[in-house]
Amino acid sequence: MTEKKIIHVNDVDIAYVDEGEGETVILLHGFPDSSYLWRHQIPALVEGGFRVIAPDLRGFGDSSKPQEIEAYTMQTIVNDIVAMTIQLGIKRPHVVGHDWGAAIAWMYAFLMPRRIDHLAVLSVGHPGVFSYPTLEQRAASWYMLFYQSPAAEELLKRNGWRLWKEIMGREGDYDRHLRDMARPGALTAGLNWYRANRSPEAELRHQRPFPPIYAPTLGIWSTEDKALLEEGMANSGKFVKGPWRYERVEDAGHYIPLDAPETVSKLLLGFLGTEQPAEPERRPRRRL
Amino acid sequence: MTDVVIVGGGIAGASAACKLAAGGLSVVLLEKQESYNDLVRGEWLAPWGIREAQRLGVYDCFGAGGAWEIREWMTWDEAVDPHEVEAVDMTRFIPGIGGPYSFPHHQVCELMAAQAADSGATLIMDAAKIEVTAGPSPSVTYTNSEGRREEIRPRIVLGATGRGCTVGRQVGITMSNHMHHWGGGVMVEGLDDWPADVQAMGTEGDVMFMVFPQGYGRARLYLNFGTKDSRKYRGPGAMDRFLKAFELECLPDRGRAVVESRQAGPLSVWPSVSSVPEGPPLTEGVVLIGDEAGNADTVLGTGLSCAMRDSRTVCEILLDSDDWSPPVFEPYVKEREFRLSRLDFGAQIISRLHVEFGPAAVERRRRVRKLMAKNFAAQVTGLLNMVAPEEVPEFGFSEFFAERLFRESA
Repeated sequence: MTEKKIIHVNDVDIAYVDEGEGETVILLHGFPDSSYLWRHQIPALVEGGFRVIAPDLRGFGDSSKPQEIEAYTMQTIVNDIVAMTIQLGIKRPHVVGHDWGAAIAWMYAFLMPRRIDHLAVLSVGHPGVFSYPTLEQRAASWYMLFYQSPAAEELLKRNGWRLWKEIMGREGDYDRHLRDMARPGALTAGLNWYRANRSPEAELRHQRPFPPIYAPTLGIWSTEDKALLEEGMANSGKFVKGPWRYERVEDAGHYIPLDAPETVSKLLLGFLGTEQPAEPERRPRRRL
Repeated sequence: MTDVVIVGGGIAGASAACKLAAGGLSVVLLEKQESYNDLVRGEWLAPWGIREAQRLGVYDCFGAGGAWEIREWMTWDEAVDPHEVEAVDMTRFIPGIGGPYSFPHHQVCELMAAQAADSGATLIMDAAKIEVTAGPSPSVTYTNSEGRREEIRPRIVLGATGRGCTVGRQVGITMSNHMHHWGGGVMVEGLDDWPADVQAMGTEGDVMFMVFPQGYGRARLYLNFGTKDSRKYRGPGAMDRFLKAFELECLPDRGRAVVESRQAGPLSVWPSVSSVPEGPPLTEGVVLIGDEAGNADTVLGTGLSCAMRDSRTVCEILLDSDDWSPPVFEPYVKEREFRLSRLDFGAQIISRLHVEFGPAAVERRRRVRKLMAKNFAAQVTGLLNMVAPEEVPEFGFSEFFAERLFRESA
């Protein structure tokens, strides 16, 4: 893979992979990954005639790692992507996200309906579904509560990162995840994603109704995902006004782009650029 | 101008490079491997060694490099009745530090070397034919990866080439060696039925076995065996024989979990030599650290902890003083001599007790176990691989104690 480039947006440096030519696809990784998550899809998409932009989201990989919790609200991170696309002169990219990157992609899609072409989301469903999680999903998400504690860093790290290893298991790039997290400031930065957005206080915050999603949307969920239940993705369709397609990948764990690399590449190539978006209602602009 | 050339990028050398580069010195680290590979080195780090790693600032290299905390030590052994097997809790010997670590040696070294390079050290891999000349202005020559001969003239050279003692031999530091038995080791995976928190060390028949889990169903296996078996675990079918050697009555389910595991790295065997330097492990312009400066029998498992104690002690001297002449290293030489004498003494007790085979040896082990059960103080030698040697009560290092231990039981 070529060298990552660096772009300065929103007071942080974002490292990103930029390859290929054609319509732009933005690939957003999740926790605790980096753009490296997409190493199998990037060449396939480039081959398929796309320009691929895969950032290390703030707090991860080679990007800046501010240590304050407030630096990691979803809005801030969506703003990183918006600012990045504006600086790079990209008007209407396809947006693909996995895990936290999917949450960011959903939000980008409903906040920026005119700045997105197609939306593909892996593992994590629409935030609306998570507004009222089932007890079963709450139980599966127990670690999110644990990460809220300021003691979490110390507990995860001590005795050779033992608890971290037990929580993460032998999935995805588990070796590389740990190396990444051992970099200065990386663990706090990663946990801050949860602290800024998944605290009980955040759940209490008043939520406005979600604007609808007009982009054609592909949701992908894998049967061996232990942290995220199928309902999260399968029930997301009701928030999508554009064409909605749900794909369930058998025998793949949470890290679908790694566990089923060819399936994911094929689904993306078959989906991006094929469907027409639903037309948002056009209100006449008031002229002064 | 290079301040320090470190010859050998193992645990001692790479950790020293991290500490010295972080302290602002100009460091060159020479490693003979092209890239770090599994060479079947020591992979067990005592709790006191973990503390040394923290002091050196290389602690995270262990966790991130795959270190797995082991919490219990099950005393499975042919001389122990199955229902008298004890689970020794290893997590509480040093406050704030849990149990010992088992880890892939080469991965941790790789991360340390990368950390040193990040701190400004120059890392040279694939350095061949390294030659060191001691003196007030020492010189290091080597062949680089393109086959070109290079020379560096640093202020000081740290020799950290391990048991090969490459630098020590070149500058005339001599060792007194003794060999008690042979050893062999291999990485395995698929050890799913072995409790991940539990290590085992024990003896049965003609092997002393060690199982050190590394998490995710992986473990480092070692065998120690008599010289008569020095060829047994080599050649065709060696791996099968090695695994088969764990089919033991004293292990749960006759060692099935281990026997059915799969090879996940090279199998290597070696004569288990311990080396005590005949003088101080240094000369003008050259200081030895780690196994290269002298070592106890591997059966004790303190090699890596020692390597980092050496590394820390020498680095602190180098960072504190502008004068790097031999007298400045006197505290290191003294502390090391004291430490190695204790470790060597303890290792000899352990290998006499656990790495000798046959009916008389079994009888001796059985009696010593009884003595230890009756009088807890008799277990003092066992402390040596948990806490630092200077913290172990002195009575454990007298000839009188050793004699009593073996006589009362003989």
